[in-house]
Amino acid sequence: MYSKDLQEMFDAEHIKPGDIIKIEWQGNVLEGALMPKSEAGSEDTIILKLKNGYNIGVNYHNIKLKKISSKKLNKFPFSNYIPNPELPNISIIWTGGTIGSKIDYIISGVSMTVKPEELLYYIPELAKIANINIIPLFSISSEDMTFIEWQKISEEVIKALNNGSRGIVITHGTDTMHYTASALAFMLQNLNAPIVLTGSQRSSDRGSSDAFFNLISAVRFAANSDIAEVGICMHSNSSDDEMLFIRGVKARKMHTSRRDAFRAINDKPIASITKDGNIKYLSSYKKILDIKEVAVAKTGFEPIVLIKVHPNSDPEIIDYYMQKGIRGFIIEGTGLGHTPVSVEHEGFSWLPYIKNAVANGVVVGMTSQCLYGRVNENVYKNLRILKNAGVIFCEDMLPETAYVKLGWLLANYNVEKAKEMLKKNLVGEIKNRTIYDEFLI
Amino acid sequence: MDYNKNNNKIDNINNTNKQDIEDSDYYKKIGFRCGLEIHQRLATSEKLFCHCTTSNPSDSIIGKVTRYQRAVAGELGNVDRSAEFEELKNRRFLYNVHDKLTCLVDIDEEPPHEMNIEALKVTLEISQAFNMKIIDELQPMRKEVVDGSDPSAFQRTTLVALDGKLKVSTQSIGITSIFLEEESSAIVSENENEIVYDPSRLGIPLIEIDTDPDIKTPNAAKEIALAIGNILRVSGKVQRGIGTIRQDVNVSIAEGSRVEMKGFQELDTMDTFIKNEILRQQKLLEIKDELKARNAKVYEAKDLTKLFKNTKVKIILDQLSKNGIVMGFKLSGFKNLLGKEVNPNRRLGTEISDYVKMAKINGLIHSDENLSAYGFDDNELFTIKKELEIDDKNDSFILIAGSKNNVAKASMLAVERARQALIGVPLETRGVANTELCTTKFLRPLPSGSRMYPETDAKPIIITKEMLDEAARNAPDIEKMKERLYKELSNKNIADQLLTSNKLVLYLNIIKESKADSDFVANILMQKFVELKRGGFDVDNINIINIIDLFKIYKKDEITKQAVEELLKILSKRKESIDISKLIKENKLERIKSKELDNLIEKVSKEINSKDIEKLRSIIMSKYRLNIAGDELNIKLKSIKK
Repeated sequence: MYSKDLQEMFDAEHIKPGDIIKIEWQGNVLEGALMPKSEAGSEDTIILKLKNGYNIGVNYHNIKLKKISSKKLNKFPFSNYIPNPELPNISIIWTGGTIGSKIDYIISGVSMTVKPEELLYYIPELAKIANINIIPLFSISSEDMTFIEWQKISEEVIKALNNGSRGIVITHGTDTMHYTASALAFMLQNLNAPIVLTGSQRSSDRGSSDAFFNLISAVRFAANSDIAEVGICMHSNSSDDEMLFIRGVKARKMHTSRRDAFRAINDKPIASITKDGNIKYLSSYKKILDIKEVAVAKTGFEPIVLIKVHPNSDPEIIDYYMQKGIRGFIIEGTGLGHTPVSVEHEGFSWLPYIKNAVANGVVVGMTSQCLYGRVNENVYKNLRILKNAGVIFCEDMLPETAYVKLGWLLANYNVEKAKEMLKKNLVGEIKNRTIYDEFLI
Repeated sequence: MDYNKNNNKIDNINNTNKQDIEDSDYYKKIGFRCGLEIHQRLATSEKLFCHCTTSNPSDSIIGKVTRYQRAVAGELGNVDRSAEFEELKNRRFLYNVHDKLTCLVDIDEEPPHEMNIEALKVTLEISQAFNMKIIDELQPMRKEVVDGSDPSAFQRTTLVALDGKLKVSTQSIGITSIFLEEESSAIVSENENEIVYDPSRLGIPLIEIDTDPDIKTPNAAKEIALAIGNILRVSGKVQRGIGTIRQDVNVSIAEGSRVEMKGFQELDTMDTFIKNEILRQQKLLEIKDELKARNAKVYEAKDLTKLFKNTKVKIILDQLSKNGIVMGFKLSGFKNLLGKEVNPNRRLGTEISDYVKMAKINGLIHSDENLSAYGFDDNELFTIKKELEIDDKNDSFILIAGSKNNVAKASMLAVERARQALIGVPLETRGVANTELCTTKFLRPLPSGSRMYPETDAKPIIITKEMLDEAARNAPDIEKMKERLYKELSNKNIADQLLTSNKLVLYLNIIKESKADSDFVANILMQKFVELKRGGFDVDNINIINIIDLFKIYKKDEITKQAVEELLKILSKRKESIDISKLIKENKLERIKSKELDNLIEKVSKEINSKDIEKLRSIIMSKYRLNIAGDELNIKLKSIKK
């Protein structure tokens, strides 16, 4: 936003962003389009786009300002495409994230202002792979996603599948994509179609964006693969030539900025796909079957809490949340699944708080902050103590997946059933074998 | 390039134009407009938007990544045409990832860090030297470039200052703007499907200085480029060597169009390139007038593949055997104009052919050429002409063969370029076609403002009064530098030469780092270097760090003056950088001095059983010329006598 004084100056001259204006500055006359003001830089600086395309910032003190002509910012182009009856029908559900982002002058960053139709204009290849039904659901940043969006997405997926979509692509901000993927994996019952989440690490307003290849590949998985699971389709490595389909409940974002940030943890990717669309299956998965069971959404979700323990961590946090009525905790323990339990450091021991929680009918699940490997309730005495206190050890499940699962279980089942199901594999989130070559891949 | 020789060439094909082309009235009359864009790499220790070092001779490649790029819309929603054009080529880009010279920022896997303040300071200082008006708040921008030279598909660039002045002997010229931007990657290898880039230099800060388009003559352009280069060198904060400074020239004439010429390595021929561009625009305008008089028209391309079933034309046969196609189109009223020369050894047909290459097609066949030389027979030509409805007296045609996709694109481009001939001179960015003939070829359409959009990952920078004052204090000043050199050097001639030489930065660095004797350093750089180059030693190629090390060691009396020269010879033959101390040992170039020298004199004296100074000097120097300083030996020998 421009400062109040500056805004008044604009108002007096009836100047709006996009107008061509003239500024007398240091004895020069500058002419250009007034750009909207981002939150970056000084509020007293006028952002002017010169004819050569460069923006400059001009301090409004000691200048003269005049409007030359009004101009509205151009609209972005749209695509026109005609469905091809020979191609499979798929749906793209648009939820936001960098994949459809454009420069936003208000927040001076990439933000979700592009309509999906614009994306088809930039990626005409999509029209050759499938007939695409676009569902612009919402435009929410990854970090702002809640279970309410998970529920809405699930319902949209079911609707689209029951309307004849062969597969579904969901565009999503990458940061919490693996949470959403897990939620969908649990919420979508009788799933018999590929559900592919995809996003981008570089915004699609740049020519190097990974959005193009990611979306093309996700559409190919939805249109051509026989995978009946929820997965994430992103780059296999930093190069633009191979994508992976990673099981949603086993996927995790492992890098802040690289395009190959998503990795399969304690699992192998289900499939890879080349730039030309060749799919290679890499591990076992649930296949599309010739059944006619109708997919339904079981969307109940009760927010619980995911806590990371660490040296000096304060276990009172458990009490705090219990007072707020929280009925479940997933702990990201150290190593094999520890919390501090020593009586010598009474104030630091989590044991009494956990015991109290369990006694009050709260479910406590244990995962590991190592991410790789499996928690164990027997190896050390301190682990056995936690087990005896009623902690449920969640095998090789990722903390985020366990969080989503327990929240979903508590909303849809009674506590006893939820406890029982938490440590049982439902959709591939727990594997009973830990394989040698599934580490750091 | 011999200037006169080239002039003759122009005159040969430009018989209508006998005026003295040096006459500035002449340039005024033809509406000559010309401006320069000087790009100079700054000598900062780190890159502009990350903390990678800008030079590390012992770096290694640790990986390769593959990328593809697309043209996307700019801030105002228009896709830039030059970007779109590049995408047509649809090539794969490979980047060598380095250990020390690249990080994730360079390969587009991490957002930029903050702008390098050292680079900004140098840019402000240079801006002050041209009396520029510095922008209150800098707005880093992205300039879309999808030729792969930047893995992010844009170059970060910031307009820093506007409206300065520069005076040279013949005229005063406005400095329109100064930008601070990132260097692009270097091409390692290239074919029609892929380009391998080395991003190690990517992101090195680059200053761009643009002049107003008011340069009056081609010669003045050269003079102004030299003067700007001088100021940059006097700053002492710019890189030296091949490729570290580049001059782009914008040229147009009345009725013509702005054309940007890129990629000159030498200033010497800049004026000839400009003269050739004037000529090219004049010829294209003549062609336009002629086409207009003939009521010419360019038709859409047709698939003619079926006409070539029994062809003996080798280049078409080759394509058909690979399932290729042939397309052709009619150019009514173009007869003999495709073959008309517009520049030495370049015809209108060549100009159209440049466009076709954008679609991965090597060239085209046009009817102003000797078609029987290609292997066309009369029958074949008859059917082609019939199919395209060619009137032999007035019309021409163009044929393009290749893979289906490429030919379709290439034909579209060729038709577009041919139609431009009816309008005049297309707006183009052109690169060097032939360094000998000083001719250029089409690279891409001239970029528009729509390739610019804000770099939202980098924050705007407010320029404070303190920054401006500091920059004004440190601004490069040629007069001050002259004074300094006159003070430091006993030979004024050498000082004058050094002032306008590209060795100035190196000299300043050596003096600063090594504190070696300035006369000796200047002599080596200004005289020895020339001598050595004539002797076949490519001393310009030696890494700057090595040269500085050499003088540091010399300053510590560890080597002699003769050894410095010897080491320069050795270094000029080595591609990779090396530890100088090691090199000295390997080549036994350590200086023999003090006690050691006493012992040597004593030893030789005993061996020959003589204390004759001349004899001793001659024997010792013949064996240890490179290891002994002559003046020290003289003193020692004199003391023997005593």
